[in-house]
Formats: sequence, structure tokens, C-alpha cells
Amino acid sequence: MNRTWGQLTNRGRLLMILKYIFLALCVIVALFPIVWVVMSSFKTNAEILTDGISLPTSFKFTGYEQAIAISPILKYFVNSVIISSVATVANVLFLAMAAYVFARCQFRGKNILFWLLSLSMVVPMTALLNPVYLVINNLGLTDTKTGLILVYTALNLPMSLLILRSTFLSIPRSLEEAAYVDGAGFVRTFFQIMLPCAKGGLASAAVLAFLNNWNEFTFALILTSGQDARTLPLSLSYFTSQFSFNYTAMFAAITIAVIPSIVIFALFQEQVVSSLTAGAVKE
Amino acid sequence: MKKRITALCLVSAMAVTMLAGCGGDTAKQGSSEAEGTGEEIVINYPTFQCGVNTAAPVVDQLISEFNEQYAGKYRIEKEEVPGDQNYIDKIKVQLGTGDLPPVVYGGGYNLLDLALAKDVVVDLTDAVNSDPEWKELYTDAAMTTNSRDGKIYASSSEGNLVGYFYNKELFAKAGLSGPATTWDEFWDQCDKLKAAGITPLALDTADSAWVTSLWMGALVAAEGDDAVAFLKQMTPDDYNNPAMIKAAGEVQKMLQEYTTKDAIGGKYEHAANNFLSEQAAMIANGPWMMSDFSDETKAAPGFADKVGVAIYPGSFVYDAPIQGYFVTKQDDPALEEAAIEMVKFFTSEHAQQVALEVQGMVPASSKVEITEKAKEAYPLLAEFLDLAATAKVRTDNLQATMYPNLLDVVSQELPRLASGEITPEQYCQILTENAQKN
Repeated sequence: MNRTWGQLTNRGRLLMILKYIFLALCVIVALFPIVWVVMSSFKTNAEILTDGISLPTSFKFTGYEQAIAISPILKYFVNSVIISSVATVANVLFLAMAAYVFARCQFRGKNILFWLLSLSMVVPMTALLNPVYLVINNLGLTDTKTGLILVYTALNLPMSLLILRSTFLSIPRSLEEAAYVDGAGFVRTFFQIMLPCAKGGLASAAVLAFLNNWNEFTFALILTSGQDARTLPLSLSYFTSQFSFNYTAMFAAITIAVIPSIVIFALFQEQVVSSLTAGAVKE
Repeated sequence: MKKRITALCLVSAMAVTMLAGCGGDTAKQGSSEAEGTGEEIVINYPTFQCGVNTAAPVVDQLISEFNEQYAGKYRIEKEEVPGDQNYIDKIKVQLGTGDLPPVVYGGGYNLLDLALAKDVVVDLTDAVNSDPEWKELYTDAAMTTNSRDGKIYASSSEGNLVGYFYNKELFAKAGLSGPATTWDEFWDQCDKLKAAGITPLALDTADSAWVTSLWMGALVAAEGDDAVAFLKQMTPDDYNNPAMIKAAGEVQKMLQEYTTKDAIGGKYEHAANNFLSEQAAMIANGPWMMSDFSDETKAAPGFADKVGVAIYPGSFVYDAPIQGYFVTKQDDPALEEAAIEMVKFFTSEHAQQVALEVQGMVPASSKVEITEKAKEAYPLLAEFLDLAATAKVRTDNLQATMYPNLLDVVSQELPRLASGEITPEQYCQILTENAQKN
């Protein structure tokens, strides 16, 4: 039971002060990069480069105007929303099916196949560039949203599979058995019983996949050439070149780019954290 | 059961239409190839000269003029690849997959040699030799930069005439009347500036350390004919020579005594900002920086009037064309012809004039007239061109001739040189070892 300040001993009060100082430090560490980026979007180039942590001398939205004028940031923003969302939905849908099978069904080579798929997480991105470029090019999907959606769906495969398998393992078998007794088939049990129960895991996999898709840069650069399929991270490169820079506009563009990620994570953070630990204790 | 099958069919149909709906214009996919829209051939042209790049308006104007001049026959479709390094990365991937665009701009990144190693570059010798007007634009230096084994593979539009800028007001505060003519005088000026509480040099070490490398090359050039011959050598694989070692030692001194704290680990932007915000008195850089002097988002109003321009002590100036555009081998000969036309147009006298007047870029060819319009727009450029004409020693810069893998090595090793962790001899040895990996 929580005790009030008056009921605490001196030692208890000291511990409470230390606890709040620690929590405040955590909040500052977490918030500092975001606040810094937003503040920098109101500073001039000279202010940013001379004293990175100083406060802006005025709050003008010139950086945001320049960001929109210099790069097609709004177009890329819409592309990012479409590509990241569709790839996330596809990833979670297909991987939930795969994860359910890995969690519940017994078949020869199951473990080898599971670890093989999970190990793809450690393949470096640069090693994938040439083969993925060739495959997408041969499919005629370069410079299309579909091409990027397919790649992003696959790139998030290992992480989603790990999360969702753990989630399904944590759901009691008795729920499925009850569904089967009531006459539900395999597909119905999966969609109507198991998926709602795995809501937390699905949200977690979806959030992580969405964040990865939203921030991905390399494949977006290599696999696209026009404005119709390019995503937001590419727009950030418009503000610096070897001998020219506009940091004010770049920080404004970063602010525009990171807001959806922050909002999504803030909304679903509880599911993400809880499902990452799901499966630790089995029935 | 029937209901379930219908639901599955609907879900599948939805997924297929969702993905199909996200598809782009499939006609654009083969944009690096000739497209059969009547007789018009489309040239897909990826370029990093977009966004804040100072050459972006020049490229836009040239593309628009080309498309107008060749309407119905050829058309350039610009592909923006913002960021120099992103462009290099993309070209390297396409080089690996054999899917290069018809025209590649080599810039200062020596992409020509990488492409030649894969045998994907079109030999332009006959095309240039058969067009006297085009051939006339090739200076001896341009011919060397763009040729290999007696064959012409590329064409330049930009010269790389680089000296340094100094802040006249800060110089006056330190009791200095003008730029140094000898290196002894230069070091003396650095000491006087430092004594007056002014940081003498704006330097960098990250992102290949462009600014610092310019000083290093100028110091090498001061060491006599052998040193100049070394600077003119393409892709040298031995940096263990007395001139390089001495220059590395002097750059070490610059980094330790005469620059700002953020030079170590700092990028070009930091060096530029230190000069633009009057925290350092000198910066080595090319004429493309001149437009920044009057850009009020980067410098205080009136800053442009305080800036003077100079050639390096010892009457030295960097003077070499920037490696130009080259054409890559394509399945369709008509597309190759179109690409050659584009390169010819982009490196023509007119194109060089446009770059001069719009961007303040020094032309690759000495035949291009420095117009009154250009002098009016960039008075400092006119002053610099007059000064550069008096220079007795000229060569290309260190970065333009070194193997591309050394650019990262320079960024990694300069901070260690500055901290004294490695000696100038070790620095040159590391460059040599990495050059010999090629």
C-alpha cells in the first residue's frame, strides 16, 4: 500500500526523492532527442551548427515552408503511409498464420524451418541489396509501391514470426479445444478464436513492422526512381549535399517524419511491451 | 462451408487488388531503356544535383532546353537521387547488377574507373573526334581526366579551380593586409591571427575531409616538381614520399593549433559554418561556395563584402576539370546514341556558360567566355579567375586522383593524426596500404 509523504520515515523520503530524480532523468533522456529535433527546426543554420543545444532565437515556421518547397515531402509522406500500412498488414496477416502453425502443429523439420526463418534476421542489409534489386527488377516491380511492399513484408518476417509464435504459445490450448468441440474448423478457430486472443502480439508485431517500414531507407533508394513510390526517409536527403546544406529545413522535415512513429508507438506501447514478454510462461 | 470459401475468395481478391492498386506506372519501369513512344527515346537520368545542391537549377535548365531542342526525338527524364553518397551507392548497386542508366555523371567520385573495370563504358573517341566543336572544348587537362589508354570515355563541363577564401575584417584585426604569398608568411599569419584571438582555419575531418584535404594538397604542391608530378598521377598506390609526409605533418599542426575544436569529427558543414559565422578566418573551397556568402540563412547580412579570395602560397591553384559525364553500354544502340547527344549537350559551351552564370561554376573549357552577367552575379569569381590566371603551379586535388576507398580512410585517420595517435609517416603508410588493396 502506498504511504503518504507524512507517513514516510526520513530514509523513505530520501528513497522516494532519489526514485523521482531517476525517473525524471529517464524522461529527459527519452525526450531530449525529440525536443532537440523540434527546437532545431526553429533555429537558423548558424545557430544549429554553432551551438547545438541552444534555444532558438525566434519561433518562425520558415524551416517547414522550406522543407515543403525543397523536397516533395508531402507526396513521400502519403507514399510512406500507404506502403508502411499495407506492408504491415500483409506482414502481420501472413506471419500470424505461419506463427500459429509453428506454435501448434507438429510436422517434420518444423524446428529447422523455424530457426532458418528466424536466422534471416542476422543477414546484413547490404548483402541483400543486389539479389533483392535483381528479383524486383525481373518481376518488373522497380519503382512501384508493390515492389517496396513485398520487400518490406519480407524484411520484417523474422521479428514478426518470433513475436507471434511466442504469443500463440502463451494462449491456453483449452480455448482451441473448446472451439473444436463446438464444431469450429481450423480456419475459423484461427480467425475467430486465436487472432482476437493474440491481439497484443499482433499489435506488437505490427508496431515494430510499421516502424521499420516507416524508417527504411536503403531499399527505398535502390528500388525506386520516380516520385510515385518513394518514401519519407528519402526526402531527408534533399537538405544536405557535399557542399550545400539547409539544416533548418532538414530538422523541420525530420519533425514531420517522426511524428507518426511517435504517435503510433505512444498509442500501442503497452501492447508492444506486454507481447514482447508473452510466451515467457507457458500453460 | 460455402460461406467460408466465399469469404476467403473475397479476402484474396481484396489483397490482390490492394497490391495491384499500389503499382506505379509500369511504363516507367524500363526507363533506362529506349521506350517505344513513337520515335522518342527516353533517357533516364539519375542525378544528385537536386534539392539544396547548388547545381540543381543548372541541371533543370539544361534538361528543359534539351527536351525542347530534341522534342519528339529524345527526352530526358530526371531521376532525383538526393545526397551525393546515396547517388554513389545507387550507381554501385546498378554497376553490380549491370543495370546502369545510359548517362552517369562521374563528378568528383571517380565512378568512371569503377565502370571501366566492368567494361560498361561507351568509347566516345570517334564521336568526339568527328565533332570539331566538341573536341575543341577538351583542354589537355580535360583530355587526361576523361581518357584512359588513349581513348576518350567522358566529357567534362565543370572546372575545378579552387583557392581559398579569407575574412578581410578578421585579417585587418590581426594586422594583416592580405593573403600570404609564401608558406612561411602563411604560418606567420596563422600565428598573428591566433595571437589576436582569432581562429585562423576552418577545417574538417569527416566525410572525406574535403576542406582539410585541399590544404594538404596545396602543401604537397609546394614541395617541387616531383611532388606536383605525384599530385597529377591518377590513383597513386604509394603515399610514402617526402612531400606527402611533410604535408601530413603540417596538416597535423593545423589541426592541433590553428583550427576550431569541432574540426575533429566535423563535416564540411561545420567548417563552412565556422567561416560563415566569422569564427575562423580562412577556408579552402571552390567558387560554388560564393553564393553562401550572401545567403542570410547561413551568414550575417553584409558578410559577402568581408570575404576575399586568394590562390595558395607558392602561386598554386587547383586547376583540373571535374571528371565528367560518361555513356554506358546499352542493349539498344539508339539509346546509346541518344545518351551521347545528351552528354554532348550537357558539356557544350552553352551548358558551361549556363553553369557559370547560374551557379558560378568555373567552366571546364578555357574557350568559354566569362560573361559580364557572370561577373556581375559573382564579382568574387571574376577576381578569383584573374588571380588564378597568374598561378604558376596547377594540378588536380588529392581526392580526385585517389582510389575511392581512400576517402573513408582519410576521414578515419585524420582525427588520429590530429590527436598524435599516429605520426605523419604512419598516416602516409596507412594510405599506401589501403591504396594497394585496389
